[in-house]
Amino acid sequence: MELLGLPLSTLAAVFGGVGAGLVALYLLKLRRRRVPVPFVPLWARVLDARPAARLFDRLKRLVSLLVQLTLLALMVGALGDPRLRGASARGRALVVLLDGSASMKATDLPGGRARAAREAALRLIRGLGPADRMLLAQMDAQVTALCPLTDDPAELERALGEYAPRDTGADLAQGLRFATDVLRDQPDPEVIVVGDGAYDPPRDARGDVRLSGAALRFEPIGRRGRNVGITAFAVRRYPLDKSRYEAMLEVRSWSDQTERVELTLLADGAPIDVTHVTLAPGATTLRVLPDLSGANESVEARIARDDGTRDDLPADDRAFGTLPERRRVRVLAVTEGNRYLEAALLLDEYLDVVEARPAEAAARLRAERFDVAIFDRVTAPTPQGVATLWLRPEGADSPLPHEPGFALAPPGSALGVSTFDRRHPLTRFMTDLEETHVGRIVRYRPGPRDRIVAAGAAGPMILAGDRGGDRFAVLAFDVRESDFPLRVAWPLLVVNAIDWFAGEDPAYLSSFRTGTTWRIPVPAGVDRAEIETPSGHRLTVPVYEGRAVHFGTEVGLHRLRAGETQRLLAANLHEPRESDCAPRRTLTVSGAQATAPRPGRAGLRRELWAYLLLGALAIVWIEWWTYHRRVTV
Amino acid sequence: MGFFDFLRRPPKPAPDAGTELFDEAFQRRLEWLAVASRRVFAGRLRAERRTRKSGAGLEFADHREYARGDDLRTLDWSVYARTGRALVKLFEEEEDLAVYVLLDCSGSMAHGRPSKFDHARRLAAAMAYVGLANLDRVALIAWSTRVARRMPPARGRNRIFKVFEFLRAAEPAGGTALADAARTFAAENKRRGVAVVVSDLYDPAGFERGINAIRYQRFEPMVIHVTDAREADLAARGDVSLVDEETGEARDVTVTPELLARYRAAHAAWREEVEAFCKSRRIPYVAADVTGAFEDQVLHLLRRVGMLQ
Repeated sequence: MELLGLPLSTLAAVFGGVGAGLVALYLLKLRRRRVPVPFVPLWARVLDARPAARLFDRLKRLVSLLVQLTLLALMVGALGDPRLRGASARGRALVVLLDGSASMKATDLPGGRARAAREAALRLIRGLGPADRMLLAQMDAQVTALCPLTDDPAELERALGEYAPRDTGADLAQGLRFATDVLRDQPDPEVIVVGDGAYDPPRDARGDVRLSGAALRFEPIGRRGRNVGITAFAVRRYPLDKSRYEAMLEVRSWSDQTERVELTLLADGAPIDVTHVTLAPGATTLRVLPDLSGANESVEARIARDDGTRDDLPADDRAFGTLPERRRVRVLAVTEGNRYLEAALLLDEYLDVVEARPAEAAARLRAERFDVAIFDRVTAPTPQGVATLWLRPEGADSPLPHEPGFALAPPGSALGVSTFDRRHPLTRFMTDLEETHVGRIVRYRPGPRDRIVAAGAAGPMILAGDRGGDRFAVLAFDVRESDFPLRVAWPLLVVNAIDWFAGEDPAYLSSFRTGTTWRIPVPAGVDRAEIETPSGHRLTVPVYEGRAVHFGTEVGLHRLRAGETQRLLAANLHEPRESDCAPRRTLTVSGAQATAPRPGRAGLRRELWAYLLLGALAIVWIEWWTYHRRVTV
Repeated sequence: MGFFDFLRRPPKPAPDAGTELFDEAFQRRLEWLAVASRRVFAGRLRAERRTRKSGAGLEFADHREYARGDDLRTLDWSVYARTGRALVKLFEEEEDLAVYVLLDCSGSMAHGRPSKFDHARRLAAAMAYVGLANLDRVALIAWSTRVARRMPPARGRNRIFKVFEFLRAAEPAGGTALADAARTFAAENKRRGVAVVVSDLYDPAGFERGINAIRYQRFEPMVIHVTDAREADLAARGDVSLVDEETGEARDVTVTPELLARYRAAHAAWREEVEAFCKSRRIPYVAADVTGAFEDQVLHLLRRVGMLQ
């Protein structure tokens, strides 16, 4: 016998203390209730004639005390949770991995696959042997233990109530790693996977997952996988016309028959486009929907069968995308006159452009608030908080020192851009920068933290940097002395520079994938953010290195609040393995095929506390029964 | 009303007021009882109450020797002239009956609700009214361990209100000692007659001693045994202390169903013992349970003494 609950010394102390109190109460003289009767001598005739009964009366108090002490001993014993020695070591140790991926939301079974998985798990719980212990874990993109390794069916059933599939894939490798860690050094270990079997091979950075001696069982869930899903969706604003945008959409069929679906595009919740798509079995179609307008924040794509019925997996029938926020930017253009610059600035209707002569530039900058200042061959002192684009700056206030004179192109030829950083925000979307021809350039000397974005044989052509938190870009030549304005790269440079200055994230994502960790930029100084999920839950998420970090598990539009700002985040499943929700009947890990789960061996429960409490209950019941039957009174 | 008021014991109802004891309905029932009993007295009882006395009777009965102090007017001069013997003439004269109602006022009579004492007072009033209505001399004696109060002999129906007044003033208290009270009663009442004992007979010295004491003083006892069937049962169970209401004597006892059954048997045996004692000594006896009608119980007693058929 061993005690898994309170130790023996504590049990003895409890029994001693409470038992002493009980005995003291019995030693105290019982104060009897006084009952007036008219003539006691008549009672005396009866009482004096029963000496045996008086002996029983005396013994009855002793028996009553013994019953109370027995009752106390049973209850104190239950607190110790006594077990038969070695009983806990003979049972199986089971880890049940409940598939919590998006494919378990399929509706091919009555009540859904999740309900079938719950019922299967419940059967496993009820089939536990008396010494078996089980741990339930939900396996989606992460593995979440729903309870500790326990032999308490009630606790397991409570934990099972927390199982809820999410809009993510299933990471079988992570699930098996978790299970083998839990089952290490446990006797008779088993891993039971309850799910539809649609998993990637269990392999991770450490290689193939091995079960380390644990038996693998598989309980397949699901009936069929007739599904059409959106496997990719993205939207973006046109760089040179940010009021318009385009959407890219990929739809794939996993059905065994030709499917005709209606594709609806919604902008900020309002339908803007409806088309019909016919998909052969297993076919994929990619659609680019150009020149769209009408959306300010979000775009949603929906597919639905033409016949009005739903496919087996609704989770991938919708996809969401968000568009970057647009805000007005005040730009001061300091120039003696530059038509190319003026034309480029006209491309973005969200720019408030003010032109100023070089002589009045300093005064305007002091008097008014500008986000960006563009200096065309001139310089002027700029206040803190104003980003600057310099077109071949000359003067004392130039951000970069330069060598005197110009670097000229050889006679009969031109200077060109030989290399440029394609990942820099200034060169985003540029394709023809290298075709630019320049007559002469000024050789600027970049600082140690400045970057050369584009360069030619004669020296840096485009430079970028940061001064006290204010970004700047320098064009080393005069656009009038080049064919740069004739290329798309010129207005893109102006627009990219302003976007970069104004804080637009060049790495902006129109949507995130569920089952991954999202890192969302937040304003400087914010150390905590809040995300409201599509289901209405509000989660506080940490901020690391200027980015809010969140593990997304829900498809739909999320709202991020960070400091004074808020923005929408779109999340999509985009997991073909989940969309391919046809159930698998077998599961193979490391070459070994999983077998069906087996029930535990029937037998007596080894938890003796329950029997002790039953004994106490029986004593109380007998006492109650004899009292009310007037046997003991 | 407080939340825990249900835990409090309900207030005890007020004891029956004396004014309600002999209300108009009760008096009507007494009248009916008097009428029922008068038919009997008119036919039979009157003759049994004739006594031979020298004096002014109408019907000559016998002679006896003259004794000093006899009224010379009753001397039969003609017999004296013929025989020389001085004989006085005896005439039969109707004599009124002395009825003494001995009401037990011990503490045990207050037990129960309705109490035995109230029932006993109604029985005493009924017996008194029957006597008064038949022109008997009725006296009431309240007793416990001694004679506590007494109402002098009275005659005539209109004296019933004095009876009511006496009974209303009576209160149950103290122990029971019928023998002692009977001796005092006999000493105080030279005229013998019927002594109607209205009592529960819970006498620690034994009810036999008390009844015999009345008999030995040459009174004719009648026993109205006031009983309460509920006394044979006990609501309490378990370990209790039984306290005698009169003596305060306590007995610790564990009340079980088996003990209660034994007590019920003992109680019934004791009642049979009382009745058997009375029968063996030709003492009219009636057991009057508090739940019964007092007039029926009185008539039952009258039948026992042969006054009623």
